[in-house]
Amino acid sequence: MSFTHLHVSTAFSAHYGVSWPDELAQAAAADGATALACTDRDGLYGTVKHLKACMASGLDPVVGVDLAVFDDDGDHRTQLGGRVVVLAHGHNNGAGYRALCRLISDAHARTSGNAGGVVPVAVTRAEIASRSLNPETLEPVLTVLIGPDSDVGRAMGGRRYLRPRTLFKQWLDAMPKETVAAEVVSHLSAPGEPLSTARAVRMLKLAAEHGVPAVLTNAVRYCAEDGAATADVLDSARTLKSLPELTSEPLLQPNGRGWLKTSAQMLELGKEIIQAAGYGAADLGRLLGQTEALADRCRIDPVTDMGWKQPVVPEASVIGIEGDPLVELTQRCEAGISRRFPGISGRPEADMRARLEHELRIIANLGFASYFLTVAEVSRMIIDMGVRAAARGSGASSLVNYLIDISQVNPLQHDLIFERFLSRDRATLPDIDIDVESAERHNVYRRIFDRFGAERVTLMSMQNGYRARGAVRDAGLALGMDDGDIGEIAKQLWRFSARNFREALVEKPELKEFAGRVEQRDFAENQQLDLLVDLTERLDRLPRHISMHPCGVILGDATLLDRTPVQPSGLGLPMSQFDKHDMDPMGMLKLDVLGVRMQSAMAFAVREVVRLHPSKAEVVAAGAHPTGPDGTGPDYIAADGHIDLNAVPLDDEPTYELIRSTHTLGCFQIESPGQRELVGKMAPREFNDLIIDISLFRPGPMKSDMVRPFLEHRHGFAPETYPHPDLKPVLQETHGVTVFHEQILRTFDVMTGCGLAKADEFRRALSNDVLESQVEEFFRREAKAKGYSPDVVDKVWGTLKSFASFGFCKAHGAAFAVPTYQSAWLKAHHPEAFLAGLWEHDPGMYPKRLLVAEARRMGIPILPLDINRSQAEYRVERIASGPEGGKLGIRLSLNGIYGLSGAELKRIVAGQPYDSLADLRARSRLSKPSIKRLAQLGAFDALHRESGGAANRADLVQHLQSLQGRPTKKGAEVIEGQLSLPLGDVELRNLKPELPAPSMVENVRAELDLMAVDVSEHLMSSHRPLLDRLGVTTADKLLGLRNGTEVLVAGVRIATQTPPMRGGRRVVFISIDDGTGCVDSVFFHEAQELAGPLLFGTRLLLIRGNTRRTGPRGISISASMAWDLSRPETLPFPDKQPAAPWEPDLQLRGPLDGISRNLAITGLGS
Amino acid sequence: MGMFSEGVDVVCTPAGQPSALTWAGRQYMVCAEPVRWFERRQWWAEETRAPLGTGPGLVDHEIWRVQVRLAGAKEEQQQNEILTLDLTRNIGSGRWRLLRIHDALKPKSA
Repeated sequence: MSFTHLHVSTAFSAHYGVSWPDELAQAAAADGATALACTDRDGLYGTVKHLKACMASGLDPVVGVDLAVFDDDGDHRTQLGGRVVVLAHGHNNGAGYRALCRLISDAHARTSGNAGGVVPVAVTRAEIASRSLNPETLEPVLTVLIGPDSDVGRAMGGRRYLRPRTLFKQWLDAMPKETVAAEVVSHLSAPGEPLSTARAVRMLKLAAEHGVPAVLTNAVRYCAEDGAATADVLDSARTLKSLPELTSEPLLQPNGRGWLKTSAQMLELGKEIIQAAGYGAADLGRLLGQTEALADRCRIDPVTDMGWKQPVVPEASVIGIEGDPLVELTQRCEAGISRRFPGISGRPEADMRARLEHELRIIANLGFASYFLTVAEVSRMIIDMGVRAAARGSGASSLVNYLIDISQVNPLQHDLIFERFLSRDRATLPDIDIDVESAERHNVYRRIFDRFGAERVTLMSMQNGYRARGAVRDAGLALGMDDGDIGEIAKQLWRFSARNFREALVEKPELKEFAGRVEQRDFAENQQLDLLVDLTERLDRLPRHISMHPCGVILGDATLLDRTPVQPSGLGLPMSQFDKHDMDPMGMLKLDVLGVRMQSAMAFAVREVVRLHPSKAEVVAAGAHPTGPDGTGPDYIAADGHIDLNAVPLDDEPTYELIRSTHTLGCFQIESPGQRELVGKMAPREFNDLIIDISLFRPGPMKSDMVRPFLEHRHGFAPETYPHPDLKPVLQETHGVTVFHEQILRTFDVMTGCGLAKADEFRRALSNDVLESQVEEFFRREAKAKGYSPDVVDKVWGTLKSFASFGFCKAHGAAFAVPTYQSAWLKAHHPEAFLAGLWEHDPGMYPKRLLVAEARRMGIPILPLDINRSQAEYRVERIASGPEGGKLGIRLSLNGIYGLSGAELKRIVAGQPYDSLADLRARSRLSKPSIKRLAQLGAFDALHRESGGAANRADLVQHLQSLQGRPTKKGAEVIEGQLSLPLGDVELRNLKPELPAPSMVENVRAELDLMAVDVSEHLMSSHRPLLDRLGVTTADKLLGLRNGTEVLVAGVRIATQTPPMRGGRRVVFISIDDGTGCVDSVFFHEAQELAGPLLFGTRLLLIRGNTRRTGPRGISISASMAWDLSRPETLPFPDKQPAAPWEPDLQLRGPLDGISRNLAITGLGS
Repeated sequence: MGMFSEGVDVVCTPAGQPSALTWAGRQYMVCAEPVRWFERRQWWAEETRAPLGTGPGLVDHEIWRVQVRLAGAKEEQQQNEILTLDLTRNIGSGRWRLLRIHDALKPKSA
């Protein structure tokens, strides 16, 4: 007879369970079990994985939860009376599972969703009681196990001998009939201790006394005995106490007997308990029989109870349709044709219609019409909110998506294959990802909840597992090691899994010192360090907590909350306990609504354009847009000046010119040094070039040298070759190089006639070793049958095999290329508004100061901080007078000043304008340090000038500084309705001019210190005399030099990258900015050796190297040597003389001196 | 009560219960039903390694509390000479050690 474990925590019981669901299921099945429970603590976190594992091992799943229960006699909000296991009954069309989901949601409903909330996850007994009957039939659907950790079990250790019985009776009184069982557990701990046989006997006798069934469990936390030590460490991590502290309390498990014991071991254990109780063999049979009876009652049918793999989408009525969704979808597509393809006719129309019918047929077969309508509804809702949205991913392969406005990419124009997205052979809901403005993401979520109703929507969660750093910290905590020591060790652990800690100790140079300490046998700490390594490895990958997934939203019908438990997220919206791996099995429709900063930046830019140029004519003039035949300008600009970016044609020449110039800083996807080099080489002329560019710039193609042959063919340096003329139509657009998944699909189809749906299956199979050989066999056989010669077959198979794993889906590339094009378009036509958007939303890879430098390079004035003109965001402003009068400049924002609080910022803006410092103080109630910082940044300079005072910024700062020490005088209360006399600023006017005005270097230093941006001038400007003396070439001059010219370049670091390279040798790319532009340099092995610590350790670099022409407009430096500019004594002056101390200009006391904000300024943390 | 950690030779019944033991050269017979449990160890202080796959016996050890009397002693002499001993068996090696000697017969309430 087999035994069924009814109380098992998996690793998904965070900081409690040790073993993964599939380990447990395999072990149970190997021992001959027919069913296995998963009862994770506080939720169904591991349940879907458990189902999957059980199905794979041929077990019936049992589903339950281990929940804390509020003490009925205590304070209901916080006091707990122990934990119980609640099991769902099965084979009742989901009634049990539904009740379980709702009960778990009840347990979380009162929590805050934030770590450290005061309300624990727990239910009241009344809640368990009310959920345990099916509301319709009043049949029991849940069973509660009253076990050793319940109030009853815990009371057995107390002095009040009758207390357990009283508590047990309270349960029986509160719960409906047939919903309670006594859980008998013995871990064979010392007599009388928790989990001892003596206590198991008492529980058994309580059950007998009250005629309640008793079941035997082992309260399992780990699959095998070896897991006990890991459980100890998890107890320590959960309670934040070291193991020595925990033993003295005593809070640890009494021993290590909580593993998934075999049937034989459980029988043995049962015998021991029965014997200790003084019972006989019949009683043993009853105990085990009742256990199996309950197990049978709780066997879950994944399909009928939990809706396994049955997609559920919102009801048609919710998305506003009546009748057949497919008819509705067909009609909407029809309506989309005239909008998307105005005037289409003849052959193109026939092709388009054939494609549409093909897609609709597949959608009809799968029954996914409502799914498309749902996504379209969300998409429409987002656009109606005025939020920018774009579908990304393989969804762009669908004409239906294009016609119903989910996607902005015409799949016919780019030859995208529907089967890459959805096919007859893929029964799971496809992924459609929608990019929205990052700043609006949470609003979009809330709107989705409003639109579909809170009962149909929940956020998806994600599991966060232990990685090396967290694992070593918690292992150190368990061992009671010193926090500082552990911190030091944790800092060194980077980018490897904790499981390989011991291996890494041998291999990684940065761990050398630590490895030495582990080796050192005579140090007292050595034992601890050795254990530390072992425990760190034990924690590896174990789940720590769940959190809100960055983009997943689950949509369902009115039964959604019957199918997933939910708990509050930090955002306040409910979050499912299921993660992305659980979506398909549970038939859940998940939308990825991803916040993209670039979308926010572009939306911001479009708003700025309208604000500055509130009519179509003004926008056309400002952006130099084509006026068209009737002279009114293009249709994509509305009468009020609003630009519909999605309607901008993809063939704008000034945009491609900008891209080819490689001045693409700030443009989506093409701003990195590597991409600037690639666009320089490739010189894109049309949209398809951008798609190819983005698809090529991936680790795979870069590493396997696909880029070079592609470029050679493109520029006609080498003739294009095709393995067979039949493949020419497939590979022509990429000049014979296989770049896209779509090309792999077509190649399969052309050479084997397998059809595109099958071809996509083959492509997926290529990443699986076992399946790959089957695909190869099929391919070779069929290609041969179609008459291809063996060497063609060999060659093509080689390509398929090597590219399938990293080729890029062209639909992805096309979807990505849209914002790339749009951002470049904005930069070409409305650079001020675009840069303001970039500064505001900071979407890129570089420190913000580089984009400020880019404005300077482009001749766009950067307007200083001004207490009356600066807002809470960056603003484009027309300059009224002066040498730059009439130009558009960008006014700095008050946001992002170090130390200025959000509340202060709001009050400043609400009170603008101010006529004096006193006025500012009275109405904005700024703190004194904030006022001083604003003064340092020149925010009062304009006010100061208007007051007519003769003092300067330094005097003002000193004045404010001296005020800081004095006690605050009570400010004159402004009485409502009383106007203050416009006296001007007496305080500023009366300020004595005493100090020399701060130098430019000092001003820039203040800006870097407080805003991490150099505003008044480029931080390299003050170094110009030194650079001239060294004979440095500036970035803007490089392009005029011949290839291979030796030069010196200098600047501030803006990017440092060490991408994976072919051959495995490290290559370091360092980009610097000298105020005239960026210089991208590459350090190969030898230069790295010479430059040594300067590679990563310096902010200001002098680099010697040779120019390397990368394209018609692209040039970079192959570095041979580097120096630290802030150490003048080391610099290679042409006259071999170091700078003399009396030449102060050549000393490098630049704006960066004394500023430690490395990450924000150089992009490299330290 | 004294704490010991001294090797003893133990003879077990077929069911695995101790029935006799040799300690310091003298033979003892187990004279009452022994009590067995598992007790946690301070493994983080006692062990230098705890890698995955260490197996059983890292976190706890098996304790047998036995009452013994000298083998061959006569009935009347025995009453005063019954000793209560805690023995431990290493789960890994199967070796027995004497852990504690209780001064008087004071079985823990079960």
